[in-house]
Amino acid sequence: MKRIYQVAGHRFSVVMPDNHLAWSEMKPYEPFLTDVGDDLVFSAEMIDVMPDTSGKQKITVSCEAPDAPRIELFEWNGLWLMEMAPVLEAPVRVCLLVDKAFKKAQFWVLGSMRFSIGTVMMLLFAFSTAQKGTLLMHASVTVKDGKGYLFLGKSGTGKSTHSQLWINNIEGCELLNDDNPVLRVSDDGEVRVYGSPWSGKTPCYRNLDYPVAAIVDLKQAKTNQIRRLSMIEAYAAMYVSFSGYRFIKEMADGLHATNERIVSSVPCFRLDNLPNAEAAWLCYKTVSR
Amino acid sequence: MKTKKGFTLRTIGREYVLVAEGLEATDFNKMISMNETAAYLWQEVEEKDFDAETLADLLVDAYGVARETAKNDVNALLLTWKRAGIIVD
Repeated sequence: MKRIYQVAGHRFSVVMPDNHLAWSEMKPYEPFLTDVGDDLVFSAEMIDVMPDTSGKQKITVSCEAPDAPRIELFEWNGLWLMEMAPVLEAPVRVCLLVDKAFKKAQFWVLGSMRFSIGTVMMLLFAFSTAQKGTLLMHASVTVKDGKGYLFLGKSGTGKSTHSQLWINNIEGCELLNDDNPVLRVSDDGEVRVYGSPWSGKTPCYRNLDYPVAAIVDLKQAKTNQIRRLSMIEAYAAMYVSFSGYRFIKEMADGLHATNERIVSSVPCFRLDNLPNAEAAWLCYKTVSR
Repeated sequence: MKTKKGFTLRTIGREYVLVAEGLEATDFNKMISMNETAAYLWQEVEEKDFDAETLADLLVDAYGVARETAKNDVNALLLTWKRAGIIVD
């Protein structure tokens, strides 16, 4: 069975056996279903048997923290091979074989269905759109008065908490996405934020998009304080909030161009904060001006 | 001395920043912001052998500054680059 989804205006197809239990992991993708089948950024097919990839050449391993997913990248037979595990020390749970343009992919699931499907789709989406003015972000997004506010920060900084503080204290706020929204710059330079099927622990899969009013980088602190970031500071705060294989020049160039266009037009701030209502109000009053 | 491998010089608006994008520099997790002069010098000597004299020559040629001034500026810059860990002897 094949299904087509559209996230942030980019369409992709997923092929898996009928009635496979993996389809139950595709629930969050249902708001993004579409009938339009042309102009796909990638197509992904689940396979039963993994080809023999002996002779694969190891390129790099990425793992941001011991409790973050481990992704090993190999080159094999002119393709990229990625072997992934949910945490640093866990066994490989899913393998992904994809061409160098990240367009046509096959994946093989050994276990951890939720982790496997989510990771494969996010990687393919991020990499296949990296040269299309698109960034798959690590952020929480709250909407107020028809505009999106992105909250960035390292894992555990309180991005979700800050969104909740806006929602609980400031009238008319709602959550768009709590973990992996998509930013996209249009040809005329407008920056919009899109909901996605990836939202971390918060089930919030909304097929909606809004112009971006501000981006706020969060830091835990003992007092609440906010300031506007310079373009370079904003670039650096953004840089660590999306991923990509930057040693692949075309990908790095694409990500850089998008990041530069975003920080040139969207006001970015640093909020040192406590997890309290005062922080939400200080932030809202400053960044919504 | 030599510039370390794996770095890319990026322009952001009218500013410059050196970013560790290559596999050779995956452990480097900082960004080095550079002014126009430093960025010019970096591009000129990237992945080549160079020393303080090379940089001073470039400064004198490109900006027409006195050699003595150029040497002082270059020494300060080399110290910054060394501390930042972006060049090797």
